[in-house]
Amino acid sequence: MSYDRPHRGGGYRRRHRDDYEDRRRDVYESPVDKLKTTIIKYGDVDALEELPQLEKHIRESVQHGISTLSEAFRISVTEQPFKIPYYAVLLRRLHEPTEEMPVSSGPSLGKQILEDFWKGFQAYLDKLMWREMRLCIHFFAHLTVAKLVSTESMLALLQSFTAVLDEFGVSHGRAKKAAVCAAEGLMIGGPILKASSSRQVQEVVSAIQAYNDTTVSSKWLIAPVNTMHSNLSSFASADELLDIVLQVLRTLDDSDFAETASAFMQPYVSYADLDPTLFTAYDLPSVLIPPEVIELDSLSTDSGEEAQIKKEEWPEYFLCLFDDEITPDPKTPAGYAVRTGISDIVDIFEVNRKECARLLLEFPRWVPVGTFKARPSAAAESDLAPPAPDPVPGKDWQLESTIIENVLGTYFCLPESLHKSIYYFSLITELCKLSPSTVGPAVGKSIRKLYSHLGEGLDVEVARRFAEWFAVHMSNFNFQWVWKEWIPDLSLTLRHPKRAFMQRAIELEMRLAYHDRILKTLPADMQAPESQTIAEQAPGPNFEYDDPAKPHHDAAQSILNLFRGRAKAEDVISHVETLKATLEMTDDGEVVNADAVIRSITMQSLLLVGARSFSHLLNAIERYLPLLRNMTGGGVSGTSGSGAPDAKADVLTASATFWKNNRHMVGIVFDKLMQYQIVDPTDVVWWTFVRRAETRALSEETGPTSLGAFEWDLLKGALDKANGRVMTARRKVVALRKEDDDARARAKASGGDGNAMDVDADVKADESPTTDSPALTTALKAFASLTKEQKGALSRTLDGFVSYLAPATSDVHSNPDSHMVITEQGWNDRGVWEKEQWNAWETWGRYRHFCRLYAPYLRSYSTTLQTVSFAKFEDSTDPAVELLKKMWNIAIGQE
Amino acid sequence: MSHVVTPLDQPSNYKDSQARVDRHKQNELLSKSTTLYLGNLSFYTTEEQIYELFTKCASAEDGGGIKRIIMGLDRNTRTPCGFCFVEFYTHGEALASMRYVSGTKLDERIIRCDLDLGYKEGRQFGRGKSGGQVRDEHRQDYDPGRGGWGAQAQRMEIERRREVEERYADAQDVPGAVAGGGGDWKEAESDPVLKRGRSPDDEGDNMRSGQRLRMEDEVESERM
Repeated sequence: MSYDRPHRGGGYRRRHRDDYEDRRRDVYESPVDKLKTTIIKYGDVDALEELPQLEKHIRESVQHGISTLSEAFRISVTEQPFKIPYYAVLLRRLHEPTEEMPVSSGPSLGKQILEDFWKGFQAYLDKLMWREMRLCIHFFAHLTVAKLVSTESMLALLQSFTAVLDEFGVSHGRAKKAAVCAAEGLMIGGPILKASSSRQVQEVVSAIQAYNDTTVSSKWLIAPVNTMHSNLSSFASADELLDIVLQVLRTLDDSDFAETASAFMQPYVSYADLDPTLFTAYDLPSVLIPPEVIELDSLSTDSGEEAQIKKEEWPEYFLCLFDDEITPDPKTPAGYAVRTGISDIVDIFEVNRKECARLLLEFPRWVPVGTFKARPSAAAESDLAPPAPDPVPGKDWQLESTIIENVLGTYFCLPESLHKSIYYFSLITELCKLSPSTVGPAVGKSIRKLYSHLGEGLDVEVARRFAEWFAVHMSNFNFQWVWKEWIPDLSLTLRHPKRAFMQRAIELEMRLAYHDRILKTLPADMQAPESQTIAEQAPGPNFEYDDPAKPHHDAAQSILNLFRGRAKAEDVISHVETLKATLEMTDDGEVVNADAVIRSITMQSLLLVGARSFSHLLNAIERYLPLLRNMTGGGVSGTSGSGAPDAKADVLTASATFWKNNRHMVGIVFDKLMQYQIVDPTDVVWWTFVRRAETRALSEETGPTSLGAFEWDLLKGALDKANGRVMTARRKVVALRKEDDDARARAKASGGDGNAMDVDADVKADESPTTDSPALTTALKAFASLTKEQKGALSRTLDGFVSYLAPATSDVHSNPDSHMVITEQGWNDRGVWEKEQWNAWETWGRYRHFCRLYAPYLRSYSTTLQTVSFAKFEDSTDPAVELLKKMWNIAIGQE
Repeated sequence: MSHVVTPLDQPSNYKDSQARVDRHKQNELLSKSTTLYLGNLSFYTTEEQIYELFTKCASAEDGGGIKRIIMGLDRNTRTPCGFCFVEFYTHGEALASMRYVSGTKLDERIIRCDLDLGYKEGRQFGRGKSGGQVRDEHRQDYDPGRGGWGAQAQRMEIERRREVEERYADAQDVPGAVAGGGGDWKEAESDPVLKRGRSPDDEGDNMRSGQRLRMEDEVESERM
């Protein structure tokens, strides 16, 4: 390993390659920092070779204090987990008595470091830093096998983690993390722990098993491969974390943990036991896992509903892309060790994707020999190279495929990946750049495998993410994809997930590049307009009043001229009034709604002025905010019967029509219309479900009762906007409240009426009603309005899905397909599904994702929302209604 | 925070050479910055392409998003000259861009991101002698995405792409010429009667301070 710069201890400092002054300052490294750096860099070349030298160096540096040494160990263990076994062997050596430090002089240096290390662990525990806790447990487990830590205390530590699983009302996130801590400790320490107490080992396993049995229904909702009709939660191509953990533990237990040695490095096992008459193993102090912090500043909405958002964590599934001969099966001990080792690197090194990629490709150094196939290149080319070791049966996996499968598996984690999607994209890009010839093929194979899952039960959201990654990845590699191998699939029906994927991926590629560039990358069969794979023309604006032969051309020109001449908003408003009056006058029965026509003309003209670029759009909107407000504030003239919601919907329809060839722009325009408060998120939700569906030209692909990827993006944009505003408002309230409290505390401390010392007066002051500062009052009011809006947006979304998937019998759009696709028979017939059936299936998938993604928000309002949307189905036995309710109930934790 | 590797979201040596604030103040501004400077763009990259890529760093559910994009223009020709500013609503989004996007490709060029002190009037124009960026004055290589050879050759290349050339022909260099992108959510201002009704205990005061606060918000959003 080679780090950019020597470690400089304590914290990180800026890097200024070109800034002379700073560089000079940074070069200075104190002896303490140097010592820590040396310990952290241990193993970068060859751990076992470095060992004697490093031990000597540490023994000679004791004057810098035990805490310096233990801190370096702590950093190393929690930030370089792949080296943990080697830190265990280092600590083992430091336990040996020496001439300078004979046994009689007190505890060995190693033991002193370990005792101090424990304090660091305790600090992680207090702050509930789960990853750090878990990695420390790895360390302790290795130390137990190395006989430096007592088996009794290690088992007790693991059991304090499984105790969490029995807590009343434990959240899944907490339980999952605690279970994994205990399980991984057992996997590593098992050989010696089981010999010590087989009963306690069983207790740990049983506790995890018992907890896992309670999570079946949430697994069903969260699996990346699924069908609507079956209740199964186990799949051939996806594994759930706790299921994996349990299976690994059972496998290990069956052989009394003999397999641990082939899954985890144990460089310390060759060391003889320390003299038992002089040495006693360290007893880890007993611990209690502290409860989760409950935020005291929680805020209630007007109606008393809790508005605090606690992201409930779900079971974690990993999609498997390759056979067990190519990449490890995570349900085997060695496979699990590899999987968790890679996942930890991906997680810890998120701050530097380039280093992360390098460490991932070096990962084979840290696992038992034979785990991965030897790299053919270097060994074959050089006669001097040692012969490649014989492949280990059942291992000999492909490193690059394993890494990519792992990174993608983490990215596809539902409902949300841990980091932003773009992190995983850039990480894969870096991997490809580091080793194009080996990583490139692994990426290609992954894409093909994922593509083959499309239409075979791959979750709709996973498919959406797949297209997003595909486009960004290709944009980094010259858009080179062998599209021609998918040409046969052009015969599939247009909305089949494979065809939908191709269209979507190409659309996303075009957003990152431009039409002609992407067109060039496609084979002729896909370029052909009749294949409906890519648009014929670059996605330009669609100004409906452009053609002089069309109605309202002149009216539109007159408004356009005002916009182009940068006329004042008031002047445009009065011109629009005049136009409308004329329109009503000449109304010969053709024009049914003069307001709607005027809104369309005005909005499309404004968008045309702003069509040159995103900035032009912002300028156009900002200059004519009064016009837009006037237009959406209840009709241009204010006399018509159409209220504001209709006016806002008209504005949205005009925008979607104007940009109907460019969905990216529709999303951008909607976002900014919400940002400028011309429309609200509820308007966008309602428009998407109702008004868009009614407008034939805008719902050609989806029909009146389904949602595609584009519509989902609009919904998500609206819901995220509503949720984001509540989040911002809450932060503001919390900050202002603290300010108020501080001000009051200061006032009180300064003695106000001279009674500061009087205890009784203090109590009285606390009881007196507190008046909020005007700023806080305003912020609280904003918070109340925004939570109402949030609730409205969520409610309309739920209602929209219900009306699509289980329309009332009186509804104009019955939706027989939504019933058919959720039956087993229906699913088995998918080979003959047409557009309508796939649309219905996709809409179910969107609903499923809506439930799990927004579960934390839905829970806040669950009572109201379900009353509004489900009450009418009180005694319904309609299977569609039952499925709607089932997903809903799991999401809000009622099942 | 990592002790083992250098995080990628730290400010680099990039700075606005004309900024008139001291180093301490600069660091303070950067530690809260929501603005990115983007360099090494193709002259033909559009704001929408930039929007698409950088949206992936946005955290809408956390009150974030892309506030505005300010395309860097040649002072004389009013054509894009290879840099821009992307402004988010939150600092975290700017950091995410540094970690995940800087050093990857946009429009088939490796772009560079840097935290910026914040857009100031006039900064959208190139500072090179010929109107573009200084770096393109002295460039010796042939770079088709940046107008071919150095400054001299640009004119001819740009003829080729009239659409791009004309896109920003209307760009102005006056205060208020660059849109703000939309500020924080504000209570509707239309019905003061309702407002008064909501705070019966202290009407007059609340009215006044309410208005004052709104004005402050407005000033703030303009400054941002």
